[in-house]
Amino acid sequence: MGGFSNFSLEPYTGSWESQQASHLLRRTMYGPLKENIDEAIQLGLSGTIDKLLVSHDLPDPPINAFFEDDPLVPLGETWVDVPYSRIENINQLVNSRLRSLLAWQMGVAIHEGFSIREKMTLFWYNHFVTADINDANFRYRNNNNYRTNFLGNFRELAKITTIDPTMLRYLNGNQNTKNKPNENYARELLELFTIGKGPLVGEGDYTNYTEDDILEVAKVLTGWKDTGYLSRDDEEVGSLFRSNQHDTSTKQLSNRFDNVTISNMGDQEYQFLIDIILTKDEVSRFMARKIYRWFVYYEIDENIELNIIEPMAQILRDNDYEMYPMVKALLSSQHFFDEYAVGSAIKNPIDFIVGTLKQLNVDLGSDIFTKYLTWVRIAGFAELLQMSYFNAPSVAGWKAYYQPPLYYRIWINSTTLSNRLLFVTILFTGVQVDRLRLRVDLLSLIETIEDVNDPKKLINNLVSLLLPKEIGDEQKEYLKSILIPGLPDYEWTLEYDLYRSTPDNVQLKTAVENRLKGMFYALLSLPEYQLS
Amino acid sequence: MKRRSFLKAGSVFSLPMMLGGVNIGVMANSKLSSLLQEENDRVFVLIQQNGGNDGLNMVIPVDQYADLFSLRSNIILPENQILKLTDETGLHPAMAGMKSLYDEKVLTIIQGVGYENQNRSHFRSTDIWDSGSIAQEVLTSGWIGRYLDTQHFGYPEGYPNTENPHPIAITLGPSVSETCQGISSNFSLAINDPTSLITIPGTTGGTLPDLPYGDELNFLRQVVQQTNVYAEVLSQVAEKGTNASSLYPETGQNRLADQLKIVTQLISGGLKTKIYVVNINGFDTHANQVSQGDVSTGGHAQLLSNLSEAILAFMDDLRNQQLDHRVIGATRSEFGRQIASNGSLGTDHGDAAPLIVFGSCVNPGIIGGNPQIAENVGPQSGVPVQIDFKNIFGSILIDWFGLSEAETVPLFSHDFEYLPIVTACNTTTAAGPISDFQIFQFKPYPNPFFEKINISFNSPGAQIKLSLTNSMGQEIHKIENKYFPHGSYQLSHQVPELLPGQYFYQIRSERFSQAIPMIHF
Repeated sequence: MGGFSNFSLEPYTGSWESQQASHLLRRTMYGPLKENIDEAIQLGLSGTIDKLLVSHDLPDPPINAFFEDDPLVPLGETWVDVPYSRIENINQLVNSRLRSLLAWQMGVAIHEGFSIREKMTLFWYNHFVTADINDANFRYRNNNNYRTNFLGNFRELAKITTIDPTMLRYLNGNQNTKNKPNENYARELLELFTIGKGPLVGEGDYTNYTEDDILEVAKVLTGWKDTGYLSRDDEEVGSLFRSNQHDTSTKQLSNRFDNVTISNMGDQEYQFLIDIILTKDEVSRFMARKIYRWFVYYEIDENIELNIIEPMAQILRDNDYEMYPMVKALLSSQHFFDEYAVGSAIKNPIDFIVGTLKQLNVDLGSDIFTKYLTWVRIAGFAELLQMSYFNAPSVAGWKAYYQPPLYYRIWINSTTLSNRLLFVTILFTGVQVDRLRLRVDLLSLIETIEDVNDPKKLINNLVSLLLPKEIGDEQKEYLKSILIPGLPDYEWTLEYDLYRSTPDNVQLKTAVENRLKGMFYALLSLPEYQLS
Repeated sequence: MKRRSFLKAGSVFSLPMMLGGVNIGVMANSKLSSLLQEENDRVFVLIQQNGGNDGLNMVIPVDQYADLFSLRSNIILPENQILKLTDETGLHPAMAGMKSLYDEKVLTIIQGVGYENQNRSHFRSTDIWDSGSIAQEVLTSGWIGRYLDTQHFGYPEGYPNTENPHPIAITLGPSVSETCQGISSNFSLAINDPTSLITIPGTTGGTLPDLPYGDELNFLRQVVQQTNVYAEVLSQVAEKGTNASSLYPETGQNRLADQLKIVTQLISGGLKTKIYVVNINGFDTHANQVSQGDVSTGGHAQLLSNLSEAILAFMDDLRNQQLDHRVIGATRSEFGRQIASNGSLGTDHGDAAPLIVFGSCVNPGIIGGNPQIAENVGPQSGVPVQIDFKNIFGSILIDWFGLSEAETVPLFSHDFEYLPIVTACNTTTAAGPISDFQIFQFKPYPNPFFEKINISFNSPGAQIKLSLTNSMGQEIHKIENKYFPHGSYQLSHQVPELLPGQYFYQIRSERFSQAIPMIHF
C-alpha cells in the first residue's frame, strides 16, 4: 500500500476542503447534503468534530401509529412506559408496538442531522447485541441506553447493559440462578462484550480468560431477572435482584484475572466484576479495534495495531473508558484522512438506504401516520438487504464487522446487490415493491446543485456529492450519454433552460425529468456508489 | 477403519488382468475410474445446522439411557418414544423421515464428530468448521474453497466459460458461504431464488488505485459482472427444472425444505453447479429446548422435525427424477452441547455431536460408537470427539469428487484418515468404449524400478495425468498433469523414496485410464 500512506493517530492538519469534509461526514452521519458539507468546511475540522460529537436532545418517543384499539394509548400518543392491556387481540397490540418502534428507529435515523449519534447508537447495538424480545418497551429502553450513552463511558454502559432487562432475557441471565446456573451471558460478556477471546493456548484457556472463568462469572451474575415483560398490569419494566437466587459463595477467577476472588456482594457484585475485567488492558484494545472497524476499515494489520489501535486503547484507558476522547482522536487523525481510508468502506444496508433517502431528499409523507407506515416499510427493505434494526443475526452482531476475510464485503453478493438496485429502481420509477412506494423529486433536487444546465458540470457536481472519489472520464461520458444520448451538450442547456422558463409545460417537464431519472439510476448503479 | 474401503474396492481387481497390464479403465475402482464423466455431474449439498446441535437429543445412545437420564432428566425423551435404529442407538421421534431413510440404507450416521480442543465459541468454532483447520490455527479460507482453488485456478477471472458455464457453488440464502471462500475469492453465488437476480448496468473504466478503495471497487465490479452473467443462466435453468415430490411442506413452513426444493429444481434443470450450501438456524438451545411438560416437543424437536422432513422430501424428489445417484448431502453443526442439561430446560455449548450423510451412494449405517456417558461426568462436559470432521469431508472429496489422498491431505492441516462414507456408487462406472486405447502405446520401464522411471506414450492431444499409486489405489506420487499436444513423448523422472513392493503406474485422461503394475526394489 505504498510508503506514502499515513498511519498516525496524530491530528490531521492538511487541507480542509470538500473532499475531506465529505469523507468525515459520510463516515459519521447518514447521507450528508451539500449544505452539511459547506457548513463543515466553514467550521473547520475541529469545529466539525465538535458538532458531530456533541450531545443533543433525545428524539420524541415512538407513538401508537398502527393500532386503534389500544385501550390505554390513543393513536398519536406514546406507548412508552404504558403496559399492555387485557384485551383479546393482544398479539396485534404487541406487534403494533414493535412495528411502531421499528418505524420510529428508522425515522430517527433519517431525521438525524449533523451528528454521529445514530451511527454510534447502532454501533452499541452491534456491540451489545440483543434480539428476539417482543416487548417494545424492553427494546426501547435498551435502545435508549445506547443512544443516551452514545459517546459515554464504556464501563458504565457495560454495567447498565449487564442487568438491562432486554439483555437479561436475551442471554438467559434471567434464568441464571444459584442452583441452576446458565452461563450464556457470562460467556458472551467475556468473549464479545469486553475482553474478547484470544487464541486457545491450553485446555479451556483462551489467553484472556478460561472456561472456568465463565463458570465463575456466571455465578457472580446469578439472581437477576427482568420484570414487567409484556405486562398487562402495572408491573414496571426493570431488573430485579433476588438475593435468595444469588450464589453467595466466593468466586475464584483464573490467573488470567490474577486469581482474584470475589466474595459475596449481592446486587453490587456484577459491578465489581466489570471493574475487574476492565483492569485488563486487552479490553481497551478490543474496543479500539471495534471502533476502528466501525468507522475506518476492516483490515487491522500489525502496522495499524501498533500505530493506531494501541494509542487509541491508551487514550481509552487514560480517560477511564470514556469513549468520547478516543473516538475524537480517531476521527481527527492523519490516518483517518489518508487516501488509505477514503472510499474504502462498503456501505452497510442502513447507510445505503438512509443515506440515499437523505441525499435524494425523498418525500416520505406529510403526516406522521403516513411517515410511520413508510418508515416501517423502509425498515422492511433494509431487512431484505440483510440488516434489520433490533435483529442482528447473532449475538456477535453483523458479520461484516468481525468475519474475515470478507468483512464489509459480506454485505454484497448477487442477491443483495440486486436488491440494492431494486431500491434505487423504486425511487426512480415509483413502482411498489414489498408495499414500499417512494417518490424522488429530481427536478427540485437538482436545483440545489450548481451549474445544473451544463451537463458536464452537473455530472461533476453530482459525482463529488454522491461518490467517495472522482471517477474516470469514460464513466462520466457514460453518464452523460444517458442524460443526453448522442446529443451535443448545449441541447441539455437548451431544454433545461426552456423547462425552467416554462415550468407549466408538462410534457417538457416530464421529458427533462425522465432524462434525469435515467442518469441518476446509472449513477447510483455504479459500484462506486456502494462505497463510502 | 482407515483405508478399509480401498481394500474393499481393491478386491474387485482380478490379479491376472492387472498383471497383464491391460486396460483397466473400465474396471471398478474409485481411484482409477475417478474423474470420468460421471463424476463431473456429482453434487454435494452441505446442510449447516447453525447454533450448535444437541446431538444427544437427536441420535440417542439408548444403551446409556440411565446415565444420561441422571444428567439431563428435565429434557431427556422417555425411552419408549425413541425410534430405535439398533438395540443401542435411536433417533428423536420427530425424525421419522430419517428413520425411514436409514431403513432404506441411504443414510449414514457418524458418531461423535468434532475436532480436538473444541472451542465453544459459536464464531470461532464455525470458523474452524468452515476453514477445516485445527483448533489452534486460523485460516481465512474454507476447505471447499481451497478444493475449488485447485480445480479453478484464477477464479473468477475468465468465468463463466465453456467448461464452467454455471456458478461453481451456490448458497441458498442471504450471504455467501465461508466454507466456499478460496484463497483469493469466494466461489459461492448467494441466491434467494433462481429468478431473484437482476441485471446491473454500469461501466468499467477509471483506474483502480492500489488502495483499499481500489480493492473494494474491484470486488464490487466482479460481483456486478457475475450477477449479470449468472442471472440469465439461473432463470433459464430454473424454468427447465422441476420438482417431483409431494412430501415438501407448503412454502414458508420449513425454510430448509424450501431451500432443498430449489436445489433439486436447479439440478433437474441441468445446472452444473457442484456445491450447494443450505442453512437451518436456531440450534443454540440454551433455554426451552423442550416444552415444559412434554419433552418430546419444543424448539429442538421442531428443528429436528424440519431437518428430517426436508431431507426426506429432497431424497424423494431426487429419486423420482432419477437424480439420486448424483447427489449426496451432509449436515454439520459447530458443536454439540453439554451432556448435562441446564436449569432452563436447555443445554449449553459442548463438544462433539453426530453428523448425518445421506444419498443413494452412501455406505449406510452407523459409523463410530455411542458416546460413553460416564457416571462422574463434570458440570461442563461435552461429548468427546471420536471422529474428526476433516476426515469426513476429506473422504467425501476422495470418493465423491475423485481427489486422491495426496491431493486431499494438504486441504486440511491435519493428520488425515480416510473413512468409507460414500462408497456405494464407486463400484459402477460410466466409462464407455475406450476408443483411443490403442493410441497410447503406454510403456513405463524399467520394471522392476529403482530410483527412476522412464515412460513413453503417444498422446492424441489431451490433458493427461501420470501418477504412481500404491497397491490399494492411493496416489502416492503425482508425476505430471497437463495438456500433451498430439505426438509421441518420452519422459524420465525420479521417484520419491518408497518402500519396496508393488505399485501401479497410472495414466489417465478424460476418456482413458490405464494402470501398469510395477515392482519396486
